[in-house]
Amino acid sequence: MPIPAKAFQRWLHGVAPDASTSDVCRAAGIKRSTLAQQLVRGKVAGATVVSISRAYNINPVSALAQFDSFRQLADVAPQPTRAELVSQISTPDLLRALLLRSVAGAAGPECTSGGGGAGPGVHGRTAPVLEPPPHATSVRDWVEAIDDGELRHRVSAATGIAPQNYSAQLTANRLTPELAIATALAAGVGAAGGLVATGLITGAEAGWPPGARQEALDTMTDGELTTLAGERLQTLGRALRRQEHDQERTDKIWENLG
Amino acid sequence: MIEILQWTTLAACGLVALARIPSAVRGKNRTLFYIFALMTLAILLSIEGPYVAIDRALGGLNVANLILRLVIFAAIYFLGIRITRGFGATDAYRLITGRIGMAVLGLTSLTVVAVFLMMDTQGSSVGMTAVASRNAANAPLIAYYGAAGRAYPAYVSLALLPAMARAVTSTLPVLVRVGAFLLGTGSVAVALTLFFPFYPPDWGATAKFVINYSAVLCFVFGLALIGLAGLLYGKSAPRPKTSTEK
Repeated sequence: MPIPAKAFQRWLHGVAPDASTSDVCRAAGIKRSTLAQQLVRGKVAGATVVSISRAYNINPVSALAQFDSFRQLADVAPQPTRAELVSQISTPDLLRALLLRSVAGAAGPECTSGGGGAGPGVHGRTAPVLEPPPHATSVRDWVEAIDDGELRHRVSAATGIAPQNYSAQLTANRLTPELAIATALAAGVGAAGGLVATGLITGAEAGWPPGARQEALDTMTDGELTTLAGERLQTLGRALRRQEHDQERTDKIWENLG
Repeated sequence: MIEILQWTTLAACGLVALARIPSAVRGKNRTLFYIFALMTLAILLSIEGPYVAIDRALGGLNVANLILRLVIFAAIYFLGIRITRGFGATDAYRLITGRIGMAVLGLTSLTVVAVFLMMDTQGSSVGMTAVASRNAANAPLIAYYGAAGRAYPAYVSLALLPAMARAVTSTLPVLVRVGAFLLGTGSVAVALTLFFPFYPPDWGATAKFVINYSAVLCFVFGLALIGLAGLLYGKSAPRPKTSTEK
């Protein structure tokens, strides 16, 4: 599943033939001990390859694509769907957009969204720059954005991961790179999308056009945006309630047994 | 082997009791200190040397054994209250402190005391084993005495068990869940003591010793672990990150 040490060494030799391990680590900002450990175990993390490729100005996606477990990344990726792009906008950003629209709606009779092609910050009023992915629930939101109802089923059939383990990763806002790619393949979307949602690579590195998320947001109708924001808030509220409930319970335990 | 187990259990329990003194002085969860002190006393009274010494001082009538039984009852009662309160197990709390729980406690205590008074208990002997073998009239009595002495702790343990199982599978902090698992294991061990009379004779005393002491150790370590978890991420720790934070 992960990158074998041998393949990594071969790749590294191609990338930086003359650099010593410590040079590479310094340039990439990884701890030497971390890399050494990964090499000893024979499993190199995808994040390691990403950091090194960035340090040597290589596109991380094409670097990853050279390894067997990531070879799907080499395929020509379809552009991200609108749902995918919107899923990578954080809830606070969505809410801000919603508020801005209602302010605009109150000011003028017609809500002026749209303005295609404009990147963040170009709009006069919809100015606030969107936070780059990942956000606090980006992994789950991404999977939900591409889920046709049977996706989790297909992923677990394809990879052999137990559905509850898959859900646990989504809840923790994590997904291993291999699973992220498998999920994208099972949904028929660009293979790199999940890596953006997990924060392994940036949207630009995955080939998402600049400002694509803002554009996607702008094309949403008020109804769509409000519904989506409502769903996000509801999920967030449930998670917060659960946390508060757990906190109350642990407080009670320590009150009595601490 | 058994001696080592006994003294280490005594030391562990005593140390935890000592460790609770500062917070007991501050008035925080004083009952926990009493529970550990009672448990330490109970272990002390179940080891041959100290038992004989104490019992001789009390007149050599095995009164120390009666005290031991009642000390265990008291410890397990307070333990049950603290644990069910802490884990919010209202059903178990009611089973222990409600009418049924009080009836079981009263009945078992009365039986223990009454049977003790009916026996000829001359001659200090830990676990009253020598008393049982001395005359024929004592043998059935001592069986009832022992059964009553094990019944109440087993009742409380069985009441605790579902709550512990729930806590282990919950989303509580890991240390708390490990602690709950230990408490649950201790509860199972205490419940197993109910079946002592039915154990194959060739298991001998060792099986009983192991079960008794692992029950005590599980309870002590489970509670200590939960206390430790409280120190680690209790008051000072920030509330868990919410997903609104970035």
